[in-house]
Parts: sequence; structure tokens; C-alpha cells
Amino acid sequence: MKPTRNRRPAGLAVALAAMLGVLLLVAPASRATAQGSVRSEVDARKIGMLDQVQLTLTVDGPSLPDQVPLPALGNLRVVGGPSVSTQMSFVNGQSSQSRSWTWALQPIAVGQAEIGAVRVALGSTQATAPAIAIEVVQGSIAPAQPPQRSFDPFEDIFGRRPQRHEVKLFIEAKASRTSLYVGEPLLVTYYLYTQASISGLQFDEVPQFNGFWAEDPGQPQRNAGEPATVEGVPYRRFPILVKLLYPTRSGRITIPRATLRIQVSPQSFFDAGGVVSRATQPMTIDVKPIPEEPGFSGAVGRFKTRASMDRTDLAFGDAATLRFEIEGSGNLKWVDRGPELTLGGAKVYPPQVKSDLRTGPSGISGSRTWEYVVVPQTMGNFEIPALAFSYFDPTAGHIVRTTTAPIPVHVTGGAPGAVPAPVASMPGMASRGGPLRLRTEIGPPASRVAIPGLAVAVLALVALLLHGLLWGGQRLAALRAHAPSGRAPRGARGALRDLDRVGRETMSKESAAIVIEKTLFAVFGSLDGDESERGRAVRTLLDDLHAVRYAPQLGDYSERLRALAVRAGDVVRRWA
Amino acid sequence: MRCCLRALAAAVALWACTTATAAVAATPAERFHEANELARAGDYPAAIALYDSLARSGRESAALDWNWAQAAAARGAQGEALWALLRARERDPADPAVAREIDRLREGANLDRAELSPDPLAAVARTGRQFHLDLVACALLLFSLAAHAILKTRGAPRIGPLVWTSLALGLAVALVSVAGALARPTGVIVRRGAPMIDAASPTADVVGTLREGEVVPVIEASGGYVRVEDSSGVRGWALAGDVRALVGPRRGQ
Repeated sequence: MKPTRNRRPAGLAVALAAMLGVLLLVAPASRATAQGSVRSEVDARKIGMLDQVQLTLTVDGPSLPDQVPLPALGNLRVVGGPSVSTQMSFVNGQSSQSRSWTWALQPIAVGQAEIGAVRVALGSTQATAPAIAIEVVQGSIAPAQPPQRSFDPFEDIFGRRPQRHEVKLFIEAKASRTSLYVGEPLLVTYYLYTQASISGLQFDEVPQFNGFWAEDPGQPQRNAGEPATVEGVPYRRFPILVKLLYPTRSGRITIPRATLRIQVSPQSFFDAGGVVSRATQPMTIDVKPIPEEPGFSGAVGRFKTRASMDRTDLAFGDAATLRFEIEGSGNLKWVDRGPELTLGGAKVYPPQVKSDLRTGPSGISGSRTWEYVVVPQTMGNFEIPALAFSYFDPTAGHIVRTTTAPIPVHVTGGAPGAVPAPVASMPGMASRGGPLRLRTEIGPPASRVAIPGLAVAVLALVALLLHGLLWGGQRLAALRAHAPSGRAPRGARGALRDLDRVGRETMSKESAAIVIEKTLFAVFGSLDGDESERGRAVRTLLDDLHAVRYAPQLGDYSERLRALAVRAGDVVRRWA
Repeated sequence: MRCCLRALAAAVALWACTTATAAVAATPAERFHEANELARAGDYPAAIALYDSLARSGRESAALDWNWAQAAAARGAQGEALWALLRARERDPADPAVAREIDRLREGANLDRAELSPDPLAAVARTGRQFHLDLVACALLLFSLAAHAILKTRGAPRIGPLVWTSLALGLAVALVSVAGALARPTGVIVRRGAPMIDAASPTADVVGTLREGEVVPVIEASGGYVRVEDSSGVRGWALAGDVRALVGPRRGQ
């Protein structure tokens, strides 16, 4: 029986050891799970040049980062993403969460491609996902997406029929050019290529044209499309959206992808049709800057200018209309200001602007006219000066300056003494080289340093405080001096002690008088102007004291001084 | 003897250097005259560069700003001309010719009066500078203190009203001066079609266009950008070179 009894503890020890072993094995894994992990996945290890591969980085753990670095890419480039999604789950009361970043990648060349290892910081530790190798071959080898399953009543009887081919369709954004100047028109057309019948289109991601000024040249007509062959595959091509874009800044501007949801019509009796989603490729446009020159109007294109007056013979006081017209093809909508016109002998009112512009696929064309009302203020002849206009000619690659012909104007009549009109001048354009109203003396430099507002504020506060002290201090002293029951400046007991010294100690009459006088002053302060009984009593006492103090030393004054000290004590006892 | 000769030689060399330097460096008045001649000859960029150099050397004056404005206007840079005139007005607010010229350019640029005065406190500050209200406030406050002290020490009750009147006036004038100091800094858009962008970054998107000649409050500055608010209340960033400060040191051109 003993051996049996002895085996039980041994079995228990083995079991405990086994559990400990399991715990030791599991603990690091649990700790690693608690810290989190990162996974790097692709949807295909072998792709064609025309395919895209989807890279997904997934991070699990209690604390998720807001961003993860894009791994190093070899022979691949990013064409979309990242799109971020977060998942949370509760299982057996335990919560877990993960976040995924997804990029769309496209191969650059045939051969080997690689997605580098990813290192993500998770709290105090770092998690790493290994690198992924991808093989890139010619063409497209991406599996066709399974079509939407249609309802087939005979499927249960005869089994599922072979799946129909994937609907062949895609969309494409096509730019009229990829390099242009700021302000030049760029026509972007979105085409749908399809082999199937389409019943509806809808943008999921509306095209964005940041960095461009977009004009609508008119939507394409819904026609039967035109045949087109792409990589040997015949399609019908339909224009679905046309935009006329004008770059507003230089540099490389990217038009991001647009996504279209396409409703495919049923292809057979048992086919319910379906909805597919297609996206365009992002486009990058190289926008060249325009050389900067003073007075440049901002117009880009080819233009002609013309100036005219509705009449050139005027009576004094009549008004005439000057028209300055710019006609041509280009970004005329950007030219929002006409030439500045100042006439010495006439008043010029701010112009009215009239536009006759048409927007077409090749750009904006038409004319813009500024109408100035001119009212002569002097009689005689004067001249509307040449009006200048500058624009950038993208074909020539430089800024072109044009001027209109001067227009002579004759003003008749007028008040006696009216002077002939001086030569017209136009600052900024026609006045170049003309007399400028310049001052000849430079004038004194600004020598005075302004006092900062803060310093003024501080000074005002300090002044207020000092005024308060001056005013309040006087008031307090006055109140203290005139207070009938106010406290004596010194305590009565101490004063009486001092007065007792006069009788006990040997001192000269001057010293004794000074002690009594000081004591009285210390107790009552200055009593000038105090006509109360107290004031009179103290003053009488002080007069007697002064008589003794300044009297010639002709005898012994000790008795008189003792008497004065007693009187002072009485005064202190009574009024202090 | 040798030491004396060395000292004499050094003194002669120093005198020669000083004379040569004085001969090369023209006086501000001569440089101003030279800039005027350049402007009259139609070389506006050179004239403006010389005006700028004079201003940076501390010889800025209302006359210099006026001539700068004339040259800039003739060059076609209306925003810069308005900026120079507004600076001239800051320097000499009582000059009626400057006010007339500002109105003329403003109308030519189709700008509203309010677009040149976005902050009412700026006008208060200008009035303060025109009448030297900071000095007046300090003088009045110090005078009131001195009078109060005399009143206390010498007991002259007749100057009592003078004390309180000067104190009240000093406080009122100081209030105007302090209010003017609270005005936001402003700048003038000196570039035609200056873009307003959504961040202080070269890759930021353009959110609008600032009008040349418009005066905008400058909210903050970061690197080569300043954050401004246009007349419609839209806030955004602009290139620092497109916005020139109205008060204070000149920015880079």
C-alpha cells in the first residue's frame, strides 16, 4: 500500500511540472500577443505588368499606431492608398482590435519585385513583418472577378451552368497634353471602354482638380460611341465627362483617380446584370511657370487689343466713352482689371466690364471690353494715350506687350479762362519716361522713438498710484490729527515715565524743558490751529516751558521745572 | 624718433583711408538725388533699389516713400505703390498729397476704403503718432504728479483743479495711445494675383487669390509665409514676399 501511496505524490509532481512547462512555453507567447503584432500581406505573389497588387499591413494589439511607414518598394510604385480600416471584436469578454493599411501597387518593369520588411513600434517594443517577393510578368494575369451570381431557376435541376466571362470594361482619363504653362488650357476627357451594354453610371469618387481652375466646355453627347481597340481587344468607347482645366500654379500637379460605379445590363434572360466599380489611373501634369514681369496682366494665350472712342469731338462738359477691348483665345477670365487710365484734363470714371466669352474644348475665346466714361474738364485738344496690355504667349514662350494707338480728342467751348488740356499721362504704362512728381528733398529722418503703449499704460498706472498716495496720505494725516478720541502718537504711560525723570534726575533746565516738550509732542503731535481746550492747555504749557527754557540762568529753576512736569503729567492723564 | 615717425605714418594712412571712404560713400541726400534721376530716366528698378537701400540704412522718410510710390506706379506695380504711400502716410499722416494719391490709386485698383483700413485701431494708432499722443500723455501725467507734490509741500490750494484736470487729460490721452498700440499688424499685398494657400508649405493648395493693394491683417508668420485675413474674412497663408508690412521694419523685397 505504501508504494501506491508514494506514487500519488510523484504523479502530482509530474503533472505540476508539466503544467509549469506549458505555462513557461505559453507565457512568452501571451506576452508577445499582449504587446501586439504586425502582418504584411499581398493579394498575389505573381502579377502581370498591367495588374495591380494590393498590399495590406495589419497591426494587432492593445494600442494601435495612427500611422505605419510604407515599406521600401522594389520595382513597384504606389498608385493608390493607403486606406485605413479598424476592427474591434469581443470574444469571451476579451476585447481585441486591429488596424489595417492598404495600398495599391503597380509594377514598374518585368522581373522581380519586392516589398521590404516593415518595422512598427508597439508601445515599448517593435514588431516586424518580413519582406515579400513578387514576380512580375508581361501582360495581365490577374484572375477575373467572379460575376454577380444571377438567378437561374434551372440551376437546382441541371446544376450550375458554366460562369459567363467577366464583363470587359474600364474607364480612362485622357489629358490633351502632359506639359503646359500656368494659365494654358488642358482638356481632360473621361472615357468608358466597354464590350457590354451599360444601363447606368455614377461617380463614387468625383474627379478632383486641385491646383486647377476647372471650366465646363459642355458635356459630351450620349451617342453610340466609337469603336476602339486596346491591346488587341475591341471595345466601344464613350466620352462620359469632359473638363477644361487651367493650372493655377507651377510644378507637378497630380489629378487623382476617380472611381465610377457602372451598372451593367443583363446579358441574357437569366442574367440579372450587375454593378462593377472601375477607377482611372492618376495623372501627373507638368506645369511650367510664367516668367514674372512687372505689369504683367496674367493673361495667357494670344490676344489683340483695340481702343476706340464713341466720339472724338466733344463740347466742354460732355461725356464720351472709351472702349478698350481684348480679343483672342486664352484665359481671359483671369484678366479682371483693365488698364489704369488717368487723364490730366479729364475725369475718368471707373470702367464697366463686358465679356463675350465662349468656352469650348480648345479653350476660352472671345472678348472682354472695359468702358470708361471720360468727361473733359478743360477745353482744347488732348490725347487718350496708348493703352498697354501684356500677355504670355505660350507658343513663343515669352511675354508679349501690345499697345493701342493714341486717340486725339478735341474739346470745344468751355468756360472763359479754361486752360487747354495738358498732355495726358498714364502712370504705370504711358508715363514711362515721362515726368514724375518726385520730391527733391529727402526730409529729416525719423528721429523720435515712439514710447511703447505698454510703457504709457504702466506710467498711467504709476501716476494714478502716486496721486492716490499723495491724496490719501494727506487725508489720513489730517484725520489722525483732528480725531478727538484718536490714539495718542505715544502711549500715556511711557510719557508719564519720561516726565517723572524731570523731577528725579539731575539735568539742566534746557534738557528738562526739551524732555517735557518732546514728551508732549510725542503724545499729542502738532496742535497748530487746534482751538479746543486741549490745544489751548498744551500751548499754554509749552509757552511756560519756553519761558523757562530760554530764560537766562539767573537762579535755580528746578522747582519750576518740576511744577511744569507735574502740569504736563496732568495734561497727559486728562487728554492722552 | 623712430616711434614718432611710425605714429606719423600711421596717422597719415588713417587720414587717407578716411578721406577715400568719405569720397566713395555718398551722403543720403546725394543717393536720394541719384535715385530720383534714375526714376526720371525710366530706370525704375534701379531707382527703387536705391530707395530701398536708403530706407534700410535708416534714412526712411515720407518723401522717400512718396518717390518710391511714384516709381513703383510708373513701373506698373500698383500694390507696391500703394504700400509705399501708406507707409508715407504712417510717417507723415498730415500730408494731404499723400492722402489724395492714396485715394487715386485705390480707385484705380477698384478697392474699397474699408479694404485699406481693415483694423480701426490702426487709424487710432496713426492719430496717436500724428499728434505724438504718447509724449503728450507722459507729459501730462508727470505734470499732474509734480503739481500734486507742490500742492502738498507748499500748500497752494489754487493749483488743486490744475492737478486733477491734467491727470484726467493725461489718462484720456494715454488711453488713446494704449488703444492704438493694440492694433494688429497689417501688410499690403504687393503682387498681382498673389495666391492664398491653405498651409505654410510649398505643397499647399491654393484656396484663393489676394487682391493687389489690399491691406490685410497679419495674424502670424512662419518661415517664408505669413497668415493673413482678407477683406471677406477668409484666413489663409501667403508668401511673405507678397505681403509688405505697413509699420515696423521693412521686409525683404
